[in-house]
Amino acid sequence: MKAKLAWMLTPLLVLCMSFSFGQEKTVSGNVTDQNGLPLPGVSILVVGTSNGTQTDFDGNYTISASQGQMLRFSYIGQKTVERTIGASSTINVQMEDDAQALEEVVVTGYGSRSRELSTSAVSTVSTEKIEAFVPSTSVDNILQGQAAGVQVTAANGRPGQTAFVTIRGVGSLNASTTPLYVVDGVPVNSDFINNLNPNDIESFSILKDAATVSKYGSRGSNGVVLITTKQGKTGDARITFRSSFGFSERIPDPFDLMNTSQKLELERQFAELGVNAAQSLPGATADDAERARLIGLDTNWEEELLRKGQIQSNSLSISGGDEKMTYFLSLGYDKNTGIIDRIDGFERVTARLNTTYQAKEWLNVGTNISLSRSTTDLPRDRNNVQNPFRAMYDYNPWDPLYLRNADGSIQTDAQGDPVFNPTTSGFPIAKALITEPEDNRNFLIVGSLFADIKFSDKFTNRFTVGATNNRYNRTTRSIAGGVLNTIVGAAAFPGTQTDNFENTLQYNVNNLFTYTDTFGEFHNLSASFLLEYNENIYTDLFASARGFPSPEIPYQEVAAEATASGSEEARRVLFSQGLFVDYDYDGKYILSGSIRRDGSSRFGPENQYGYFYSGSAAWNIARESFLEGTAVNDLKLRASYGTSGNQNIGDFNFLNLLEFGTYNGNTTAIPIGVGNPNIQWESQAILDIGVEFGLFNNRINGVVDYFKKNSKDLLLNQPLSQTVGDENNSILANIGELENSGIEVSLNADIVRAENFVWRAGGNISFLDNKVISLVNGDDIVSGTFGYNILREGEEINSYYTVRYAGVNPANGEPLYYDLDGNITNEYSASFNTILEGKSPYANIEGGFFTSIRWGGFGVRADFVGKAGNYIMNFQRQSGISIGNIDSNQRVEAFNYWKQPGDTNVLPSPLFQGTADQDSDRWLEKGDYIRLRTLTVDYNLPGKFLDRTGIDRVRVFATGQNLFTITEYNGDPEIGIGSNESSAAGSAGFIPGAFSLFSYPQTRSYTFGVEIGF
Amino acid sequence: MKNRLYKYCLASFVAATLLVSCDDELDVDPFTEGNPETFFNTVSSFQNGVDGIYSQFWNYYSDPGSGLQGIPDILSDNVILAQTGRRSNEVYYDYRYNPNTGGAVSLYWSEAYEAVNAANLVIGQIDNLPDGPDKNNILGQALAARAIAHFDLARVYAMIPTQSADANNSPGIVYLKVEDGDTGDPFAQPARETVASNYAEIIGDLEQAAQLIGASNGEGRLNRNGVYAMLSRVYLYNGDYQLAINAANQVTTTIVDATEEGALLAVYEDASNEGIVIEWSVNTSSESGFNNVGVLYSQTTPPNTVSEYVIDYEFFNNLDPNDLRAEVMQYDATNQGNNYNAVRKFLGETDEVNGRVDIKVLRAAEVLLNKAEAQFEIDQAAALATLNILRNARYTSYTGGETGQALEDAIQYERRVELSFEGHRFFDLKRRGEAVQRSNNGDLADGSGTPPEILTLPAGDYRFQLPIPIDEINANPNMAQNPNY
Repeated sequence: MKAKLAWMLTPLLVLCMSFSFGQEKTVSGNVTDQNGLPLPGVSILVVGTSNGTQTDFDGNYTISASQGQMLRFSYIGQKTVERTIGASSTINVQMEDDAQALEEVVVTGYGSRSRELSTSAVSTVSTEKIEAFVPSTSVDNILQGQAAGVQVTAANGRPGQTAFVTIRGVGSLNASTTPLYVVDGVPVNSDFINNLNPNDIESFSILKDAATVSKYGSRGSNGVVLITTKQGKTGDARITFRSSFGFSERIPDPFDLMNTSQKLELERQFAELGVNAAQSLPGATADDAERARLIGLDTNWEEELLRKGQIQSNSLSISGGDEKMTYFLSLGYDKNTGIIDRIDGFERVTARLNTTYQAKEWLNVGTNISLSRSTTDLPRDRNNVQNPFRAMYDYNPWDPLYLRNADGSIQTDAQGDPVFNPTTSGFPIAKALITEPEDNRNFLIVGSLFADIKFSDKFTNRFTVGATNNRYNRTTRSIAGGVLNTIVGAAAFPGTQTDNFENTLQYNVNNLFTYTDTFGEFHNLSASFLLEYNENIYTDLFASARGFPSPEIPYQEVAAEATASGSEEARRVLFSQGLFVDYDYDGKYILSGSIRRDGSSRFGPENQYGYFYSGSAAWNIARESFLEGTAVNDLKLRASYGTSGNQNIGDFNFLNLLEFGTYNGNTTAIPIGVGNPNIQWESQAILDIGVEFGLFNNRINGVVDYFKKNSKDLLLNQPLSQTVGDENNSILANIGELENSGIEVSLNADIVRAENFVWRAGGNISFLDNKVISLVNGDDIVSGTFGYNILREGEEINSYYTVRYAGVNPANGEPLYYDLDGNITNEYSASFNTILEGKSPYANIEGGFFTSIRWGGFGVRADFVGKAGNYIMNFQRQSGISIGNIDSNQRVEAFNYWKQPGDTNVLPSPLFQGTADQDSDRWLEKGDYIRLRTLTVDYNLPGKFLDRTGIDRVRVFATGQNLFTITEYNGDPEIGIGSNESSAAGSAGFIPGAFSLFSYPQTRSYTFGVEIGF
Repeated sequence: MKNRLYKYCLASFVAATLLVSCDDELDVDPFTEGNPETFFNTVSSFQNGVDGIYSQFWNYYSDPGSGLQGIPDILSDNVILAQTGRRSNEVYYDYRYNPNTGGAVSLYWSEAYEAVNAANLVIGQIDNLPDGPDKNNILGQALAARAIAHFDLARVYAMIPTQSADANNSPGIVYLKVEDGDTGDPFAQPARETVASNYAEIIGDLEQAAQLIGASNGEGRLNRNGVYAMLSRVYLYNGDYQLAINAANQVTTTIVDATEEGALLAVYEDASNEGIVIEWSVNTSSESGFNNVGVLYSQTTPPNTVSEYVIDYEFFNNLDPNDLRAEVMQYDATNQGNNYNAVRKFLGETDEVNGRVDIKVLRAAEVLLNKAEAQFEIDQAAALATLNILRNARYTSYTGGETGQALEDAIQYERRVELSFEGHRFFDLKRRGEAVQRSNNGDLADGSGTPPEILTLPAGDYRFQLPIPIDEINANPNMAQNPNY
């Protein structure tokens, strides 16, 4: 993109300009494309001046110029048109598609190529798609369903939360399968991606095959997401202001919770049956008066703990440029309160300035700088009532939010404030949200500086320095008199606070020296040599104190006693050299190759260096004479093969380490982690064969890819006998080989393309298959947070591994299980754990599709996402119907237990609590779903209303997110993190979407907005 | 031409800057961690290593969810589940644990072996120190700690020698000694040894430690008294009664006298260390975020106490009115309008209710009880005399003078009361081959409320041995599971 822009700016044409000193006048007109459709966003420049403008949505423009001057019309993928201003004040232009193949440029590793000359599988998501997703404050969520081969699982519904992005399946068993994110040439830690402003993004390029990811060597194996931000275009300043406002709410469950009378009745029934835990509950003990009182209370805990969230988004951008310089400046403000009542939610302010400057004929310099500050609350995401999303299901409806006096009035404390009810759980979450605040602030700088040096027509050099710096502050408090402080705090020192400060600096210096030449008429060759140095420096500080005079002063300065403090540092280095070669014969036959050597500080001295290579070829069949004049505009066959690596592991895993701590105030030194000096790079070999086509003036275009990805020397924590005494009971080792294979299809069509009516549809779908090829000694490895997944040769990765449930014995209501021999037994034993073949947390089919209609100024667009074939351990359902949980609220479904001989399709009888409440595949459910991710309706005010207002464009829009879902899952099927404190993303055993356990749920939202352009 | 030369110079400079010795940058050393191969070279660094072992003990004894200070009481007849609590550890209270069960089953196994590993690290490098009393003291502490960690594993996951006739030949745990070459291979998949061999090695390590360790090492650390006191317990578990008596006689710590106003309470509120022989300590100022063991029994949000487990009605009401220990055992607590006999021992330091206190591992009173129980097998008169030393310090007055079965019962009764809620009862019943027999009273202070779901764990039941955690079974095919799991 940038190369293209630079080309447009090349001042050679300055020589051609003609000087004229005619009378200034206003020239206006309309610009259309080859099909006569209006073309918005065309740059119009008065040649030889900095005077420029762009066409509006209807393709109209107005510019001041003098007779005799020349107007240059330029637009990506269109031939540049120049017209000299004559006597007429109207110049209408019909542009033509650029036959010289610059119609689409794909940003690939370390540069860009025209799509036609590209030999690799790259998915591109462009601005148009992104803007349909305004309600998403996070960049990575946007990718869901938008690009073939990209699997996105929202981590959870917490505002500002990132998503799990995997490209072409599970490339690594290692906790980290996130791709490498590169923003304008600068690698950015995936944790920080959510702090970019989506409105700043021009396009995403997702690199999937060896031809491109090999160029990223040791960081390429999970795929690479290249994010290109917007640049100014030559012409007058364009100012765009966008503002939207909306609200969000929890997506309703597909099941009902009990109300008070139902719950009391279930308690009564259970108590009558002799369930121990029910004996003391009001359903068993309350008299009629008490029962009536409780039914009168009937608390809807969702209403008490949650709320409608507010979503607000404002952004302003100013962009433009002249022949030498371009600029893009933007400001953004986003706020999403989230749906938990009593806390603030997520807030983000962003600013960006991108500039380029043609300093010399041979030198182009530029910067891309973004600043972002975000603040967010961190409600506890754990599997107990300290988590409002668990509390909401657990709290009994007969427990009111506030304690009641004997007369039924609300109890108040000495200050006259209502007293929160600790409830049967003993933990008043509503109060805890107030008294146990935890929030973090991030300040992120992503910046890059580059210089393009053109030594001659054949030799060029690009030098880039990039850095990302994130400053993270976190404050965790337990306020005096609050819930936790009274339980675990010290009475003599009321109130505790911990402040964390973390600074992450990653800087990247690279130099790409390129030689380009044409031999004879048709042989085009280019070769680039890359040097790259990347260093990541992390430092942190923390301090804790206790004894606060007032909850109003959240600073440790005022605390009575400092209790703990510390500082840390971590550092890692990657140093690389690479050689990339591209050759084509007349654009028809294309060959590319790359080799890269990486050195990493994360491996022992023996295994520090790795070599990664790729080779690829393509045949542009459409350029062959036999397809000339046919309906085929574009047809390309391509294939690639190559390797890439993964070094996404912790530092110093090759060493035995000693950790320092304290015991009774004295220093301790204890061994942590057994080092493995033999660990080496995990590597991947990807084979990709693809075909790209465009038919009927490109009204139908599509891409089909087949890939097979073999990951060898997988890095994984291999479980050790705990007798070894390792802190994590595991050792990082190269444990085996995996294979992912699949077919990806994406297809887009302009079904109707008339002047005032355009109907488009498109979508993508990926069919994925994975299996474990080999493991050390062929031994199984039990995996997952709770050990309910397994790696076994020949089976799907992380197949579920648990006891098989055989239903309820109709004769007596007893739950039955299968033993290892497949016999049905009334016993439950963990030794019955068995692999459930073909059932894993990974989807076999994943994709998205959209349809949009534009009719005059009106537009409607619907985006659907979905997946199929994955399974989820529904622990939330287990918790909602377990017999032992009778002291908590239950799902209405719990009534459906076995009552008399012959009952089928029932839950086990409460008499068999011991064997009924056990973990088994009884809780394993299909995670298939299709969800209407967004539905957007918009209206562009016709140009005639805007004449003489100075406003170019006004667009009003309304968007609904997650409006409906089709699924059979008993809950919300969109699950990434099951429970953050049991199984945080990146922690040992973490598998996205493996189980649901009360993490922040997905939300539904409605937003309304307006966009104004000047 | 000049222009071009300038450009080439610029490019070479840029390239050169990048090339120069970047490879050296790849050698990065750990920042906050030490090197276990080189760190141990002074007495103080070795003491850091030994304190590391103690911190591992602290981890699994004090764990607020599963601490070894409390779980053996929850597994016994001393306490009853409070219905208004969080039902924590209910799966243990109802004996429904299996190899997949989280909490105690997985915690002790993993953490105790970490303590063993930390001890072996120190022992293996002990020759970095010059010979002398300092070296001996470090080695003595490490050997004793290694023995205690193995002893905890053995009594939790395997049978206890005196438990039944077949106990000694039943599967024990894996005993790891660096000097025998048992360590160093992270991929080792050791098989279980026998109970008899485990106890021989535990005793071997303790006896060796007793010869080496110093008389005083400061609070929270093992010393000569601690090693002999532990020996008295281990010998008793092993049925070596005379040796238990001999070891007890080596302990010079005297018991706290409860007839002294507030003296006993001061021990549980950490105002005094009187009568404590071994404890795992916490500095509640600099370690104010560390485990609060009292949470095993209750959490306090004034005016309510959310009790998890409260004192069994019969046990509490059968206490002699002259028994001065009632004060430290019980306090009246309410929750949701219900009254309970809540456990007081681990409520907190003076004026605190946060449950963060030192772990009382072994007190002089236990040494007396170990001795009395051993003497009962050999010389009943001596046993009575020993028991009376304790009773004199616990009752304002008592009858005494028992013989035979009555004496044995009296010894066991005093043991139950004296060591209540301190992690003994389950092991005492287990090692004596007795059943857990809970009373059929409810959880409330007046004996009403909901009685235990499981009233009896019969003598010899397989659940007296906790299952080997499933993670171990999965990772180590040579590890045999306990029967019936």
